[in-house]
Amino acid sequence: MTPLEALSALLLLAGAGFYLAGTVGLLRFPDVYARLHALTKADNLGLGLIALGLALQAENLAAGLKILLVWPLVLVASAAVSFAIARRAHELGIAPAGAASPVQPAGGVDQRGGP
Amino acid sequence: MTGLEGYLALFLLLNLLVALIRAARGPTPADRMLAALLFGTTGVGVLLLMAHARETVAMPLVDTALVLALLAAITGVAFARRAWHAAGRDDDPA
Amino acid sequence: MHARPDRSPLPRFSLSATLWRGGAFALIWWILAEGRADSWGIGAVTVALATTASLRLAPPGQGRVSFPGLLGFAAFFLVQSAWGGAQVAARAFRSRMDLAPALVDLPVTLPAGMARILLLNTLNLMPGTVSVELRGNRLCLHVLDHRLPVAEEVRQTEAHIARMLRVAA
Repeated sequence: MTPLEALSALLLLAGAGFYLAGTVGLLRFPDVYARLHALTKADNLGLGLIALGLALQAENLAAGLKILLVWPLVLVASAAVSFAIARRAHELGIAPAGAASPVQPAGGVDQRGGP
Repeated sequence: MTGLEGYLALFLLLNLLVALIRAARGPTPADRMLAALLFGTTGVGVLLLMAHARETVAMPLVDTALVLALLAAITGVAFARRAWHAAGRDDDPA
Repeated sequence: MHARPDRSPLPRFSLSATLWRGGAFALIWWILAEGRADSWGIGAVTVALATTASLRLAPPGQGRVSFPGLLGFAAFFLVQSAWGGAQVAARAFRSRMDLAPALVDLPVTLPAGMARILLLNTLNLMPGTVSVELRGNRLCLHVLDHRLPVAEEVRQTEAHIARMLRVAA
C-alpha cells in the first residue's frame, strides 16, 4: 500500500465514521431541529472526506476534480433543504426541545399559511 | 484496490436505511422531510463509492452521482425559494 | 469597449465577462469529460451555449465578486464545516448527550438579497447553527448549544460574505 493509498483509505474510513455519527445523531437527538444539525453537518463532512479520499485515487486530475465537484452541489442542496425544513417546522409551531430562551417574535405578525 | 470502497458503500447503504426508517416514523411532518436531505448526502456518497468499487464494469456511476447531486441542488433551491423570497427583500412584516 | 462606471445601466456586451465565463465553463467541461480530448467538439458547442445563456440570464456588471474575498470565504468555510461536523459527531456519540438547544434571535447587518440568502445557507453548514427564519432584520437560529459563541460566529460569517460580495456589513 502506497502512502497515497493509505491516506485515501484513512479519509474514506473517517468519512464513513461521520456518516455513522449523522445517523446516530438522527436517532438520538431530541427534535427535528437538532436532527437537522446531525444531518447537515456530520453527513456533509462525511461526503467531503469520502470524495477527497476517492479523488486521491483518480486516474487523472480531471477525473479527481469531477469527484470533488459533487461536494459543493450537495452542500447547496443540504443548506437549502435544511432551511426549508427548519422554517416549515417553525411555521407548523413545532417547539424545540428544551429551548432555554424563547424566540422573540421579531417583526410582529407572521403570515403563516394555514394547513 | 482493497475492496474497502465496496464495504463502505454497503455500510452507507445501511445508514441510509436506518435513517430513512427513522425519518419515516416522524413524529412530525418536518421529520419526514429529512428524507430529502438523506438522499442528497448519503445517496451520493453510496454512488461515489460504488463507482470506484466497480470500476471494471463500464458503469458511469460518477456521472450518476453528479447528476443526482445537481438535481438535489436544484430541487433544494426550488424547495427553499419561497423561504428565501422573504429573505431577499427588505420585508415589512405587515 | 469603454470603461464603465460603477452601478451604471447594464452594458450590452462585456468582453471580459464573456472570456471569464467562457473559460469557467470550458474548465467545467474539461472536468466533466475527465480530460478526454475527443469530446471537445460537443464541448465547444456546449460551452458556447452555456456562456450565452449565462450572459442572458445574469447580465454582467451587477455586483462583482472579489476573488481574494472568495478564497478567504472558502478557507473559512472549509475549516468551520470540518469543526461543525466534528462537534456534532462528538455530541452524537457521547453517552450522556450534553445539548443546550435554544432558539436565538440576532440582528442581521448584511443588505437584503443575495448576501442574506448566502448567510442563511452558510450558517446551516457551520458549527452549531441552523437558520430557522429571517424576518425584517432579525435572524432566528436554532443552536445546539447556546453556551457557545454563536453571535461571534455569525458576525465573522457576515464579515466574510461582505468582503466577498463587496457589500457593507
